[in-house]
Amino acid sequence: MKHFLCALLLAAIAPIAAAGELRPFTTDTLAEIRSQHAGRPFMLTLWSLTCHHCAKELRMLGKLAAKGSKLPLAIVSTDTPHDEQDIRAALKRFDLDHLDTWVFADPIPERLRHAIDPTWRGELPKSYLYDATHRPEAHSGALDESTLRKFLQSKGGTR
Amino acid sequence: MALKEKPALAVGATLDTRGDLWLAYQESGHLWVKRTNDDGRRFTPPVQVTPVPESVTADSENRPKILVGANGIVHLSWTQNLGERMTGYIRYARSTDDGKSFSPPVTLNSDRQIISHRFDTLATDGQGGVAVAWLDARSRIGKQPKGSPQTQVGVYAAVSRDGGARFAPDRRVADHSCQCCRTGMAWTKHGPIVFWRHVFGKNIRDFAVADVMGGTVIRVTDDEWEIDGCPHHGGGIAADGHDNLHIVWFTAGKNRQGIFYRRLAGPDFRSDDKLAGFGMMSPPMPLGNSANQPGHPSVVAIGERVLLSWREFDGERYSVRAMLSRDAGETWGAPQKLAETRGAADYAVPAINEQHALVVWNTADEGLRVLSVGAAP
Repeated sequence: MKHFLCALLLAAIAPIAAAGELRPFTTDTLAEIRSQHAGRPFMLTLWSLTCHHCAKELRMLGKLAAKGSKLPLAIVSTDTPHDEQDIRAALKRFDLDHLDTWVFADPIPERLRHAIDPTWRGELPKSYLYDATHRPEAHSGALDESTLRKFLQSKGGTR
Repeated sequence: MALKEKPALAVGATLDTRGDLWLAYQESGHLWVKRTNDDGRRFTPPVQVTPVPESVTADSENRPKILVGANGIVHLSWTQNLGERMTGYIRYARSTDDGKSFSPPVTLNSDRQIISHRFDTLATDGQGGVAVAWLDARSRIGKQPKGSPQTQVGVYAAVSRDGGARFAPDRRVADHSCQCCRTGMAWTKHGPIVFWRHVFGKNIRDFAVADVMGGTVIRVTDDEWEIDGCPHHGGGIAADGHDNLHIVWFTAGKNRQGIFYRRLAGPDFRSDDKLAGFGMMSPPMPLGNSANQPGHPSVVAIGERVLLSWREFDGERYSVRAMLSRDAGETWGAPQKLAETRGAADYAVPAINEQHALVVWNTADEGLRVLSVGAAP
């Protein structure tokens, strides 16, 4: 409860970026994302422009995000900041361009993978369903919609 | 975010029979070749392969390939990006004057849709035989039911019998390849054998080999990696002097996770010379320190010697590691750490001939390094 109040307070005073920003993802970013969702469940999704299967996942997330509920979603591209234009175009195509998203910003992607999950070896799409205590449940490959819906319902993800 | 041009670190390298190390690399919209005979201290002036600029893919799983036959012909293959992401044509050029000049590049995929023909691999018998294989999405177009889990990307190949002067029309070797892992190819006495990450059943992404001329798909790893996704992490293959095949690969399967080496011994060829199977497959041998994300292994072989190389990351630095066998993969010397870097880096590219065993490593901070693999064992 104390953490939750803290988070509310932080949310009220922290400068919140305008929706739709593409920000650099560094070794510290996951901690920032977690503090934004302190005490609440959220989903971390990693994707790339070079990944066929990621389109399926992003399309599903785009549909869910469009249904009015504010999804606690952190979408991270594992491409590079060089690819900004193409990343934005892809997010727009999947109706996800109104969300804040991130892109890997490190010449060594292994460093960022390790910061997220030491056992993740770069396969995509990769997603982590964090419960309210931020225990992550890892999924490799496209997540099916029913798994995500169950997560959002059972853990009070939709607000 | 204002940025410099995205670096194209991925290079191709090979040793010729004289001991010269040849490099193929992309720079300023062209493909270039240069060589060294003193471990990279001095290189010959670069020779431009592409007469007009084209987008040569040179990043991670994509790199230009270069081989020099015993007959001295220099062969090159690469994937030309067509502007759209995940599209490409398979290109080939050669030199018959010791690398002074190159033939005009030809496109080997007969299908000319702006779709994915990518992940080329090159092999030669050193004489007239040259083969290029690749992953090709032509059969997907218009046929795949929406949402179908089964990939419709196939393995295609084009083969020349006259040293690369002409190629027979490209042919389909197999269906249902994984879409974005590098491929490999080795030339046995019976012809070219291609190696790729296949999709078995609905979504098991393990490795297969097939005779380019025969096409029977032979499963060579049993990792049981079921994933509705993209590994972005393939493997390599080489043939030794006895036609044993040596494979290295990455998996995150149910049965094992990491990078592995395996010997496919006693290749069994049918009466019509097509590969039918192997007498023995050695147990998968794990490579590297599993805590350091070992990845992107490659293998080369000549006679009895087999050289493996891969990359690790310890939290601060990338390193390149290598292992050498002098008895066709029966026993192995200890893994050697050859170099480190703190910045962006290519995969480790091994090269071998009768005298030398080298690893070429292109790094953003230290440039291109030519690393000699020590005398062990």
